[in-house]
Order: sequence, then C-alpha cells, then structure tokens
Amino acid sequence: MVDLSQYLPILIFLGIALALSSLFVFLPMGVSRLTGTHNPDAEKLSEYECGFPAFEDPRSQFDVRFYLVAILFIIFDLEAAFLFPWAVSLDMTGWPGWITMMVFLGELAIGLAYAWKKGALEWE
Amino acid sequence: MIGLEHYIVVGTVLFVLGVLGIFLNRKNVIVILMAIELILLAVNINLVAFSSFLHDLTGQIFAMFVLTVAAGEAAIGLAILVIYFRGRGTIAVDSVDRLKG
Amino acid sequence: MEFAQSLRLILPEEILSIGGLVLLLAAAWLGDKASRAISIASVALLVAAAAVTVPTLSGGAMGPDTQAFLGQFRADAFAAYAKLLIYVSGAAALMIAPRFFEQFRAMRAEYPVLLVFAVLGTGIMVSAGDLMTLYIGLEMNSLAAYVLASFLRVDNRSAEAGLKYFVLGALASGILLYGMSLTYGFTGTTSFAGIHAALTGQLSTGALFGVILVLAGLAFKISAVPFHMWTPDVYEGAPTPVTMFFSTAPKVAAIALTMRVALEAFGNQADAWRQVVVFAALASIVVGALGAIGQSNIKRLLAYSSINNVGFILVGLATATQAGASAMLVYLAIYVMMSIGSFVAVLMLRDAESNQIESIASMAGLSRTRPLLGWCLLVMMLSLAGIPPLFGFWGKLVVFRAAVDADMIALATLAIVGSVISAYYYLMVCKTMFFDEPADQVKGASDWAHWALLLIATLFNSPLGYLLTGWFDNLAGKASAALFLAA
Repeated sequence: MVDLSQYLPILIFLGIALALSSLFVFLPMGVSRLTGTHNPDAEKLSEYECGFPAFEDPRSQFDVRFYLVAILFIIFDLEAAFLFPWAVSLDMTGWPGWITMMVFLGELAIGLAYAWKKGALEWE
Repeated sequence: MIGLEHYIVVGTVLFVLGVLGIFLNRKNVIVILMAIELILLAVNINLVAFSSFLHDLTGQIFAMFVLTVAAGEAAIGLAILVIYFRGRGTIAVDSVDRLKG
Repeated sequence: MEFAQSLRLILPEEILSIGGLVLLLAAAWLGDKASRAISIASVALLVAAAAVTVPTLSGGAMGPDTQAFLGQFRADAFAAYAKLLIYVSGAAALMIAPRFFEQFRAMRAEYPVLLVFAVLGTGIMVSAGDLMTLYIGLEMNSLAAYVLASFLRVDNRSAEAGLKYFVLGALASGILLYGMSLTYGFTGTTSFAGIHAALTGQLSTGALFGVILVLAGLAFKISAVPFHMWTPDVYEGAPTPVTMFFSTAPKVAAIALTMRVALEAFGNQADAWRQVVVFAALASIVVGALGAIGQSNIKRLLAYSSINNVGFILVGLATATQAGASAMLVYLAIYVMMSIGSFVAVLMLRDAESNQIESIASMAGLSRTRPLLGWCLLVMMLSLAGIPPLFGFWGKLVVFRAAVDADMIALATLAIVGSVISAYYYLMVCKTMFFDEPADQVKGASDWAHWALLLIATLFNSPLGYLLTGWFDNLAGKASAALFLAA
C-alpha cells in the first residue's frame, strides 16, 4: 500500500492555492456588485490574450513581428541559464571565469546593438 | 526504482520519434522543426542521465550548450522558413520540390 | 598562466571573432553601400589569421604545448594545415561574391560577416580536442552556412536550398549529438584523449552505437554516400559563390574533423569503423560517378563530382595509417584548388544580359567563342578526372599508394575502377566544350578577381603543380605526425 501521508504537503498547498485563487476571482466580482460598478458591455465581455481573440483558428497566420521579439527574448533567456551556474561557481573559476563571461556578455551586447540598429526592436 | 536504462530507453524512443517525424511528415515544415527539437531533447535526456549516473558534471554543461545551440538553430530555421514562405506562399513539405532530388 | 597561454594559442580565432564582430557593427551602421569595403576588410582578416597560423604549420607544432583550455582546443600542425586551406577558400568566396550579387542588386554587408563567422566555426572544428568544442565549432559553421545558402532572396531556389540544407544539417547534428551522448555515457568523458584511453579492448554495444552514429553524422557533413542526398540540391540552389564555399571550407573542416575523431578518439577501434568507412568510400565513388552522368546543370554535376572526390579521400582514411592521413591532406589541398577553379569558371559563364548560365548544353563550343575560359575549364575537368599530366592525378596517386601500402589492394583496385567510370562525365563536358557546334551564349565580361583566381587555380592544377609535391609532402607529413602523436 502506498503511503499517502507523504503527499500531505502538496494537498495543503493545493488547498491554499484553491482558496486564494477563488478569493481573487470572486472577491472583486462581489465588491463590484455591491459598489455598483458592475456595468458590462460588449468590449468588456470579449476575452482576449496578448492582443488576440482567444477563440479562433489556431492555424491562422500571425504577425512576423511577434516572432522577431520572441527570438530576441530566447537569446537573453538562455543567457540567464548560463549566468546562474557561472555565478555559483565563480569562486572556483576565478578571474579567467569572470573574463570569459564578460566576453560572452559583450558579444551578446554587440548582437543586441546590431538588432537594435537594424530596427528589430521597433514595432512600427 | 528508475535506473539509467529507463532514461536511455526514453531517450532512444524520443530520438527515433524525431527521426521518423522528419522522414514521414508530409504536411508542414514547422513539424520538421518540432521533430528536430525532439531529437535534441532526446540528446539532453541522455546527457543529463549519464551525467548524474557518472557523477560527472561535463554532461550537464554539454546539455546547456545543446540548449543554446538549439535555440539558435530554431531561430535560423524559422527565419529561412519566413523567406521561403514569402517567395512561395506555402510551407507544405510537398511544395519543396523546385530542386529535383 | 594556463589561461594566458591558451589565449595565445587561439590567436587566429581571436583575430577572426573580434574582427568579425567589429565588421558586424560596421555592417549595421554603414549599410549595404559599404559591402565592398567590408569584403576587403574580411579578406584582410583572413590573411592576418593565415599569417599567424603559418608558423604553427611550418614549425610542425605538436604535443602538450599546443593544447589550450585543458586540452579542449588544439592548435597543432594538423589544425594549422586544415585552417590554411579553409582561409584560402574563404578568401576566394569573398573575392568572387560582390560581382555575383551585384547583378541581382543583392549584395549585402552581412555576406562577408557571415562568411567570416562560418570560417571561424570551421577553424574551431579542426582544432577540436573535445566533443563539446567539436559541436560548438560545427554549429557555428552550420548556422552561418544555412543563412548563406538562402542569401539570394530574389531567387526561390536559394530559399529552398537553405531550407533543405537546414533540415538535413540539423538532422545530421542531431544524429552526431546523439552518438556523442552515447559515447560520453559509455566512456565517461568527452575529451578525445580520454575517449581514446577508455575505448580499449572489446567495444560495448552502447559505445559501438555511439561510434557509428558519430561517424554517420560526420558523413552527412562531408556528404558521403549514403548521406549525400542533400548535396546536389543545395549546390544547385545556393548562390554560386556560396556553393564554392560549401564545396571547400566546411568540407575540409568536416573531413579533418572526421580524421581527428576516427584516428585519435576512436583510434583504438579502427577495426570497428573501418568497414563503415570502406563502404562509404566505395559507395561515394560509385554514386558520385553514376549520378553525374545525365546531369544537365553544371552545378549539379560538380556536386556529384564532390561526392565522388570525398570517396577517394575516404580511401585514405580507411587505411588508418599515418601515410594514409598524409595522403588525404595532400588530396584535400588539390581538391580545394580544383573546386575553387571550377566554380569560379562556372561563375564566369554569363549570357549577353549577364545572367548566369548553368546548363551544360549552353557551354557548347566554348573553346572557340571564349578560348581561355574553355581551356581553363578543360584543365579543371581533366584534373578532377585524375588524368595523368595534371595535378589532380597526383592526389589520387598518393591516396592509392597509401591504400596499397596498407595491404588494402582490393579497395585501391575498386577505387581505380571507379575513377575510370567518373572520367566519363568529365570527358563529356570537355567534348561539349570542344567539339560541339558553338551555342554562342556565353558573352558577358568577367571581373579581374575571377580571372586572377581562375588562372591561379589553373596553374596549380596544370603539370606545373608537380613542382610543389615535395613541399606538400613535407607539410602534410608534419600535419599527420601531429595528428598521430596524440593518437
């Protein structure tokens, strides 16, 4: 028989999460009804996410500019993946490790400068 | 108990799925990009599993390099796909036949 | 101090990477009108990198003094030999490009920058002393190469070539990487020296899979049969200067890398991989020879020719001896010059509206309408076929001699038969140029840079090339000695 008691912490965690999230959802609704600011119209009721209507054909084409921003994001996202192990092991790698990372960051900065100059960061 | 062989089996299955995905897919080039990511995922699972099994950090560092390069590869693949789409108006695999071969 | 010593050893790479980054910024701020100036600066960078590489080769550097970053990077004579070939082909690809792209109004300042980064990646590949360095170098070259293949945006074929090259190149790196992960798992190390020491005696099944998958991934990169299918399409679709680059620098780097991996890292298991290499060599010779027959596009024909040549180079690898490695290096140098010469000649074929001509039929009667171009192409074709008075014959001879010395007489005999078959299609091209009715299509004038490169390559491949044999034997001997010292 599996010992269920080891899952108690996650049960408590889920319980707190459920309580808190329902509080966040229902409390503003209740407050708005009570204070009289409950005033729905078509614009307010349409759900959206990141500028897209939530329900439409998932295979539709989207603007290539989203992709450009996403790619730039990935590069700096992965930079962070290198920075964490570098930071915790700096006492072992010493100055060579520090210089190497600065070179890496400098190269990324040059890449960003190139993208910036080429207008990759401008939306219009 | 989950041992090293389980990880290797998962890695192998993912690798084979990725390779088959490239060759069997007749529909959309984006799916090929996903299959490539699947292959790299299989490699990373292998590397991290071996690294943990051997008590040797090299494999995990290698996995990070693979991650980085995979991001660069996906970026360039999508960029080439955008150029291709602008020229041809489609990204169906069957349309990639201007060069016979 | 190890760190400072390492930084001194990677001087060529430092020149190329810092210079490349500066040129990248220059490309962004000065724009496409500065592309010629940036091309010239890139050639200067390659010359500078070559200048600091020469002493490594002529001094025959080898041993522990050449190891940078705890053995991850090797700056020995072998790497220097391959790097010099790579720098020559990179410089050639830079010099012929502006004239080609300007006719499409597609010359962009990023072309030389990408090329410098691709050359940098190939340089890291040949210097790799560790699977991780290998992978970084390989991808650095490949990522730049994918973009270069689809560089000609006005041409749909170019984007398609880029797409195909990308998909199959990524698959190849995936296979290579999977093999590397298995090798790491079953040997416990990623350094070539460590793998060499760990792979003694009976090979375990997992390690065997690792070895074979690594070799399969590398075979993709050198376009050896059965992993050659991308080559004709990519060579046809990519812009011609880029095709010339693909057929030289990355190929030299991938072959040098294959030598280092097979002879050094897997050196104790030569019996395990020898059958694979023998098969790939013979299959490449045969497929390269038969596939070229009936091609109507000269770039496709040259693609099959390069598959064919890779087969001959692999014959040297199959011997797994130092003489074989030395013969491969000599052959590589001659192959690079033959490739540069023939692709530059293809680039010079233009019609009256200065469009590129790629069909073999329109080259008919070239010897009468453009005699000098016709004769240069004749030298290239006969040299590629390995017909005796020309220098291409010497390359095949040293490879076959190494195979015979290693008691692989059957392999050498089959390879000679293959070279006779492959002579057929080279001779067909020559017949079209010299005996058919002139099609009179080739008109356009050519740049002086094209003529200079073509004449240098022709002189190199003419019988005058034999004056260099002693020199080449000496250099290739030093390089292969450096390779085998570690093994």
